[in-house]
Amino acid sequence: MSLEKLGEDEWVEQLAARQARRGPLGRILARLEQANPILLGGALLAAAALLPLLTANEYILRVAGNVCLFALLALGLNVVVGYAGLLDLGYVAFYGVGGYSYALLASPQLGLHLPSWLAVPLVVVIAAGAGLLLGLPSLRLSGDYLAIVTLGFAQIFVLLANTMDKVQLPWLAEPLNLTGGPNGITPVDPISLFGLRLTSTSHYFYLLLAALALLLLLLRNLNQSPTGRAWRALREDTLAAQAMGMPVRRLKLLAFVVGAAIAGFSGSIFAAWQTAVFPANFDVTLLITLYAMVVLGGVGSLPGAVAGALVLVVLPELLRGPDTARLLFYGGVAATTVLLARPRWHGLALLASVLVAGFLLRLVATASWPGLLGPPPVPVASGLGALAQSWLIFPLDAKTVGNILFLVVVALLMLASRLRHAGLRFALLVPTLYLLAFVWETRLAVEPSVTRLLFLGAILVLLMTYRPQGIFGKPRVEVM
Amino acid sequence: MQAFLNQLPQQLVNGLTLGAVYALIALGYTMVYGILQLLNFAHGDVYMVGAFVGLGTLNALAPKSGLLLPAWAILPLMLLAAMLVCGALGAVIEWFAYRPLRNAPRIAPLISALGVSFFIQNAMLLLLSASYRTMRTEVLLPIRMGFDIGPARMSAVRALVIAVALLLMVALQLLVRRTRLGRAMRAVAIDREAAAMMGVDVDRVIVATFVIGSALAGAAGVLVGLAFTQVWHFMGFTAGLKGFTAAVVGGIGSIPGAVLGGLLIGLSETLAVGFISPTYKDLIAFVVLILVLLVRPAGLLGRRAQPKV
Repeated sequence: MSLEKLGEDEWVEQLAARQARRGPLGRILARLEQANPILLGGALLAAAALLPLLTANEYILRVAGNVCLFALLALGLNVVVGYAGLLDLGYVAFYGVGGYSYALLASPQLGLHLPSWLAVPLVVVIAAGAGLLLGLPSLRLSGDYLAIVTLGFAQIFVLLANTMDKVQLPWLAEPLNLTGGPNGITPVDPISLFGLRLTSTSHYFYLLLAALALLLLLLRNLNQSPTGRAWRALREDTLAAQAMGMPVRRLKLLAFVVGAAIAGFSGSIFAAWQTAVFPANFDVTLLITLYAMVVLGGVGSLPGAVAGALVLVVLPELLRGPDTARLLFYGGVAATTVLLARPRWHGLALLASVLVAGFLLRLVATASWPGLLGPPPVPVASGLGALAQSWLIFPLDAKTVGNILFLVVVALLMLASRLRHAGLRFALLVPTLYLLAFVWETRLAVEPSVTRLLFLGAILVLLMTYRPQGIFGKPRVEVM
Repeated sequence: MQAFLNQLPQQLVNGLTLGAVYALIALGYTMVYGILQLLNFAHGDVYMVGAFVGLGTLNALAPKSGLLLPAWAILPLMLLAAMLVCGALGAVIEWFAYRPLRNAPRIAPLISALGVSFFIQNAMLLLLSASYRTMRTEVLLPIRMGFDIGPARMSAVRALVIAVALLLMVALQLLVRRTRLGRAMRAVAIDREAAAMMGVDVDRVIVATFVIGSALAGAAGVLVGLAFTQVWHFMGFTAGLKGFTAAVVGGIGSIPGAVLGGLLIGLSETLAVGFISPTYKDLIAFVVLILVLLVRPAGLLGRRAQPKV
């Protein structure tokens, strides 16, 4: 160690090398980091804006609009979770507050038809106010109480939306139908901008894209402002930040309110686009999806939140068709196996062993116990599905066996991922991958909606335990 | 007023039953939080799995054709099976989802916990479909069996729930206060690093805490199934939320506090449902939470923690 580095230990010395990007993904990301973010982001958004010119397909535009909407939501959540490090589980309720307040202010429900230039800012103020109201008491308490109070708030919001269709008011004879109960509020006025009523999907796509661009710019500046720096300090070490004289409570509250305002704004656009709001639009599944988006992209990263939204909106759409879903599944398993194996040819060897083992098993089984075998639960005539199904063998009660093997596969995968010994892992992964294919054909492909949710839950756990920094985040190094 | 007084004793009995179950769930939360400062969102889902294991055991030992074993043997077997499975599940969750994150930023294990909870719920949905299942309690304990306490009727099921919950709580208290493991748990809760330096195997203590807490949740699941006869894959979410609320109300990290909080939440919920309106049943726990926290920010029996640097 040279003299001028005296007092700095080796570990700290190597910090930069440790944080450097590695691997193929790392190299691409390192290249991207050198580009001017505003130019790059602007170019990407401009390219996205060309989409309605290229296609008039309603479905594609709807998905693209959804990507923008979810990106807005993920960015808002990113402010609370990523910048300030607060676990806000009531985020979806603020989205709901936004949606419902817009629906009440601009629909026949109460006979109010406020113009959009008045209604939308009002909604943002209402949502921010709700955030302030909830944040004030819970932020007085120790950190984790925020999570439970906000989760409770989310539940209460759905409960109220479901039950406030018969509100007794002392000055009204009839009970007031405020939220429409489970039937929601419909129709809701579309947004009109400068005299133009936004009705078509492409209108909303442009609106959402513009809002996204604006929000990205705002958040980028906010992140580099003293407030953004203070938030990061707060996230890294609240106690130290407080000792440095930062107004911790006010900063937390500010993050919370900014997040609520963004959610409320997104909610109003959502309500206008869907021309309706229902309590079921704001449930826990949405919350988990948003968290998965933020975590996938990298907590605290702006492009990360947008990328997370892109992946997690488009992927389920692709999984809708059974053929593409199958292709994605087998392709994903094969790619993951090869990419994670060290050295890479081990992965290829593993895949080959699985294929051979499957064929052998099939040969033996059809020769020895033909009476025990049945058809696949959902037979596929051609393509990859037919290939996979003719490679696997199916017992008579495939559903029950598939259920049991699902549990076995989950256990085996968990075990394999934590095994240190390469040979053992290889030996374990051969049957595991075979069984995974079996479980896919018998259970997972049969119930795509549940599979999607299982996948979301697994993403959260796996990313947190293996790559907590997500795709775009940098690994955080804690110096003790 | 007269109607209120007539109903009150019965509502108290009902509230006590519900409170005993919340207390059992709250114990698991409070133990894990006391040791790891981790909000284990998956705890409610462990409780749900416990209810299903109890249901499966009952259906296996008491098919439509009649009981394979006497009722007094089936009940403990249901509890035992649920506690074993849930204890193992708790250990697996700790090992896979939380242990790698022991020194990560605080938010990482919380998000991981959220993922575990969601995964367990949907795994159950995949395995058992979304329908409600009925626990046939009446084949074990006839509905009319029970006794009267003054004007209130204590059915056998409710008596069983309260008795088992009490038994488990006393056992837990003895374990924590009187055994080596209990002492190690308390030591880890106070200061993990210092305990490790004194020779306590911290990892083992944490696993033991998860196993015990999850086993209690499993027992709570079976008891709820017996008392309210309905079991479904989403039952853990609300119950977990209320269990945690109970733990916070009692003072998180305090075992008597969890019991007190559970009883308080259970009683206020039942009374509010009985005398005000069942519509806002799920709101009550939070009203109680906010009221208690406004008066005593550390919970009823909690001590205000000084941040350590």
